[in-house]
Amino acid sequence: MSALHDLLVGPFAYEFMRRGLLSALILGVSGGLLGCVLVLRRLALMGDALSHSLLPGVAAAWLLFGTSTAALFFGGLIAGLLTALGSALLSRLTRVKEDAAFGSLFILFFASGVALISALPTRVNLVDFLFGNVLGVSTSDLRLALAVSGLTVGAFVVFYRSILLETFDPVFNRATGGHGGLVHLGFLTLTVLNLVAAMQTMGIVLALGLFLLPAVSAYLWCDRFASMLLTSVSMALAGSFVGILVSFHAGVASGAAIVLCLGAIFLFSALFSPRYGAIRTLRHGGHG
Amino acid sequence: MSPAQNIVSFRNVTVCYGRLTALRDICLEIPCGSSTAVLGGNGAGKSTLLRAVLGWQALSGGEIRIGDEQPEHARPRLAYVPQRHAVDWDFPITVRGVVEQGRYPYLGLFSRLSTADRARVEGAMEELGIADLADRQIRRLSGGQQQRAFLARAVAQGGDIFLLDEPFAGLDLFGSEELGHILLSWQEQGRTVLAAVHDLEAARRIFPRAILLDTDLVACGPIEEVLSAANVDRAFRQGHCVHGAHAHGAQARDRR
Repeated sequence: MSALHDLLVGPFAYEFMRRGLLSALILGVSGGLLGCVLVLRRLALMGDALSHSLLPGVAAAWLLFGTSTAALFFGGLIAGLLTALGSALLSRLTRVKEDAAFGSLFILFFASGVALISALPTRVNLVDFLFGNVLGVSTSDLRLALAVSGLTVGAFVVFYRSILLETFDPVFNRATGGHGGLVHLGFLTLTVLNLVAAMQTMGIVLALGLFLLPAVSAYLWCDRFASMLLTSVSMALAGSFVGILVSFHAGVASGAAIVLCLGAIFLFSALFSPRYGAIRTLRHGGHG
Repeated sequence: MSPAQNIVSFRNVTVCYGRLTALRDICLEIPCGSSTAVLGGNGAGKSTLLRAVLGWQALSGGEIRIGDEQPEHARPRLAYVPQRHAVDWDFPITVRGVVEQGRYPYLGLFSRLSTADRARVEGAMEELGIADLADRQIRRLSGGQQQRAFLARAVAQGGDIFLLDEPFAGLDLFGSEELGHILLSWQEQGRTVLAAVHDLEAARRIFPRAILLDTDLVACGPIEEVLSAANVDRAFRQGHCVHGAHAHGAQARDRR
C-alpha cells in the first residue's frame, strides 16, 4: 500500500511536481480538443511545422523582455502568425505551393530561433526551450495555461456546431451563411496560444504531441464527433498524469515522458481498435 | 415572394477568375418546380453557375435574382448537396449527425435542437428511406445510401431549391438508379432542382430541362431541344474537349 502511495502520490509532495502535473492536465484538456480538429482537417503536419516556427518569436521576446510570460507569449504568437500568413502569401504570389512554402518558412524560422538562442548568454538553456522542463513551471505559467485552456474549452462549447460544420463540410457551412474563414482563423490562433502555453512543460518540439496523439487515438475508437472530443481529452489527461509520474521516477524529461505515454495509447489503439485497427484490417481485409 | 413562375433568373451574368472568363453574359430563367440539368464540358462553367446561384461567387457583371431577392438574402430557400469526393467519409459522424446539420443554420449559439427540429430530421430520414441507418457511421453505407444521407440533410434544411453538384459522379449503377428515382419523385412533388451533370445520357433520362454551357450560354430549355446535335457539337467541340462530340469521358473536375 505504501509502495503504491510512494509511486502515485509521493512525487506530488514536491511543489514543482504539483505545478508540472497541473500544467500538463490543464493543457491536456485544450490540447485534446484542438488535436481532434487538427487530425480531422488533416492539419497534423502543419501544426507540427507551426510549433517549430514559434521559436524565434519566443527567443526574441526573451532577449528583449526577459522571462515575462506575456512577452514570450506574444513573441510566439507573432512568429506563428507570420509563418502562416507568410506562406499563404508566398504560395499566392509565386509558383511555390502552400506545403513547400510552409515547409521552407518554418525551417527558416526555426533556424533563426536556434541561432538567436545559441547567441544568448549561457543561462538560457536551448534544451529547455525545445523539450520542456517541468521543474520550471512558474505560477504565471500556470495562470497562462489556465487562461488559454479556459478560452479553448469555452470556444468549443459555444461554437461547437460551427466547429463541427467547418471541420466536416466547410462548403456547406459557407452555403448556409457560416463564417468559415473566421472559424479557421480563430482555430489557428487557439493552436498557437496553446502551443506557447505548453512550451514550458512540453517544449516547442514536443508540445504538439499532447494535442495530436490523444486525438488520433480517439479517432481510432469513435464514430461521433462529440465522443471523439471527450475520448481525446480523457486520453490526454491520462497520458499527462502517467507521463509526469514516469518523468519523476525514471528521471526522464517531462515532455518526452508524456509524449511516450500518449504514444503507447496510440500504438495500442492503432493495433487493437475493434473497428479501425490494423489487426482487424489484416484479419478481415479493408476497413469499415 | 414573387408569384411569377420564374424563380431563378440570370440577367447578363458574367463571372471572371482573374483574366479567365468562366461565364459570359448569361441570360436565362429557371421555372419554379422544374428539374434542370446544367450541362457542358470541363471548364464550361457548370460549378461556377451553381456557386453563383448560391451567392458565393462574386459576379463581374449582371445580376441573379431568386424570386424577388438577391441570392445572399434567399439562403433559407437554397439547399446544397456537395460532390461525393468533397466528403471525408471517415469523419466520426453518423447519418443522423449529417442530417441534423440541415437544422444548424436555424439555431442560435446556445440553443439546442428543438422537438420540431428533431421531427424534421426524422422526417427527412424517413422520406429518403434511411431512418433505420440513422446511427451508422457514414463510411458504412452503400454509395446510394451515402448520397441519400446528404439529400436528407438538404430536405431537413427546408429549402425549396436544391442545388446538386455532380450528384451522379462516383456512384455505382445501383446508386445512380436510386438517385434517378428520387429525383423523378421530387419532380412530381414540384421541388426545384438544379444539378451539374457531366453524363449527358443520365441527364436525358432524368431531367426534363437543361442548361448547356460553354462559358457562353449555348442553349436553355426542354432537354431534347437543348441537346440537339448542333448544340452538343457547339458546346463540346469548340471548347476544351477535342476528343469527340460527346463528353462521356469528361470525368475530370469541373473548373471551380
